[in-house]
Amino acid sequence: MTATRVRLAVDRLPLVRRTALPIFTKSLVDGWRSLVGWSVGFTAALSLYLPIFPSMSGNSQMQDLIDSLPSELTSTLNYQQIDTGAGYTQSTFFGLMGFLLISIAAISWGAAAIGGDEESGQLELTLAHAVTRVEVVAQRFAALTVKILVLALVAFVVILLWNGPAELDIDVANLVETCLLFGGLALVCGSTALLCGAITGRRIWGIGGGAAVAVLGYVFNAIANQSADLEWLHDLSPYYAAFGNNPLTNGTDGWTLALFYLAALVLGALAALTLRQRDVGV
Amino acid sequence: MRTSSDNAIEAIQLAKSFGSTLALDGVSFTVPRGSVFGVIGPNGAGKTTIMRALLDLIRLTSGRATLLGTDSRNAGPELRRRIGFLPGELNLKGRVTGRRLLRHYANISGPVRSGRVDELAERFGLDLDRTVRTLSKGNKQKLGIVQAFMHQPDLLVLDEPTSGLDPLMQQEFLALVSEARAAGQTVFLSSHVVSEIQQAADEVAILRDGRIITVAGVEALRDTAIRHLRLSATDLTSADLEGRLANLAGMDELDCRPTETGAEATAVFSGAITPFVQAIATLSLIDLVIEEPDLEEAVLRLYSAPEARS
Repeated sequence: MTATRVRLAVDRLPLVRRTALPIFTKSLVDGWRSLVGWSVGFTAALSLYLPIFPSMSGNSQMQDLIDSLPSELTSTLNYQQIDTGAGYTQSTFFGLMGFLLISIAAISWGAAAIGGDEESGQLELTLAHAVTRVEVVAQRFAALTVKILVLALVAFVVILLWNGPAELDIDVANLVETCLLFGGLALVCGSTALLCGAITGRRIWGIGGGAAVAVLGYVFNAIANQSADLEWLHDLSPYYAAFGNNPLTNGTDGWTLALFYLAALVLGALAALTLRQRDVGV
Repeated sequence: MRTSSDNAIEAIQLAKSFGSTLALDGVSFTVPRGSVFGVIGPNGAGKTTIMRALLDLIRLTSGRATLLGTDSRNAGPELRRRIGFLPGELNLKGRVTGRRLLRHYANISGPVRSGRVDELAERFGLDLDRTVRTLSKGNKQKLGIVQAFMHQPDLLVLDEPTSGLDPLMQQEFLALVSEARAAGQTVFLSSHVVSEIQQAADEVAILRDGRIITVAGVEALRDTAIRHLRLSATDLTSADLEGRLANLAGMDELDCRPTETGAEATAVFSGAITPFVQAIATLSLIDLVIEEPDLEEAVLRLYSAPEARS
């Protein structure tokens, strides 16, 4: 051993400690503002919709109004069962506004995770450090999952808080399952965005891929609701798989829940494998 | 005994094509441990591609590279922990401070000796408490240099390290490179500024169109280079002076003019020195200037005359 090597070794003795899962931690820490912002948005949306339920459910004029709407519209919006608290919350929040918000959040996070990072040139630097590509994808996928589940948890807590005051009468077990489905659906959209970003190295393709799953899922569901001839489109719709059976009213089964999280895992794994194979930053 | 592990980098016939474009066309070189190896070439010559291939960011079409005794292809994190990399287009964004960003990279590639980051930042006058996105290009570059050097890696791969730095900071960087070499670290750096390579590197590879045209010591490269020559003598005619100089091998652009007391000549000279000295030995010189060869000019000549030297 040469003198210089001995000196280098001695130099290294007092260390700055390394933390576990640095990529995962950084994703969460960097994303806290965005997560807080979305949580506030969720709380605001829910607090606008839910308190007016009592005035709508007991109101025959409102029911008349809904009955007078074209049936295509009410079935698209899933407003047929708006007279129960669970049906109302399902239609207004989980099926529409909440789905829109959480999908946008999940897709933008997923698209930024690899594709956006590569496009900005930072991924190249990260990968030049002592991590593997699979680790980077896995830890960012994990951070994406955690952030989406936090949003689902916010929805759960806020709905639970309004459950009594807004006379929603929602079964808590069904609420838990619906929130998990809600998160799972968003996670599938977000993971698709992550995968498309990992394939192309471009944020915009990630957004496109994720949005395609969210929008087509919604559109297929809406079209299939219109006619028995088109009902097969339900099978192509993740949105229908999550919400078609009105989980807030009827609950769901473990298999449906597992399906979403397994699908997200498969998408995440594909992203890791894709990134492992290809050239980065070209 | 010299074994392969005495070399920090062994690149063998590196080839890389992007679609139909051949970015690297059989590039081979070795970088001994503890040396500074420079790559110069114009933009698009393949400098960045070589570096990205060494870091396994892109995968070679053929050929292979061994870094610190490990094949670079699919090399694990342990290899990259021993490498410090500065990308050519450093793009740092985000609301994090420089200090936090460095801590993040130290978390991945550390350990980093405590105090080391502040020490480096101080040398470059870099404020670590500003958020990264508000930093100027030069300051981002400094941050990039700090992240490459902070964990005292065995090998430094630096793509255009001084771009965006002012001359004072360039000198500071070159001092850092010298210290790294003195500490037994190996430095592989690219530049299109020849003077900085001239100052820092032991060996230089000149790259053009994905090929290494020549690998030489800086001194050797200088020997092949041209010198600017100016002399003035008394008691002879301009024609007489021209007669003595014109026949020397490597004498170009010879221009002889009469002066009040004799004649003067300017020329570009790339030949051997001794015959020249003999040719002018008997003159009564009043002025003789032989300018140190400029590597930049030598290199430019290589670029402009590809057939001449391959």
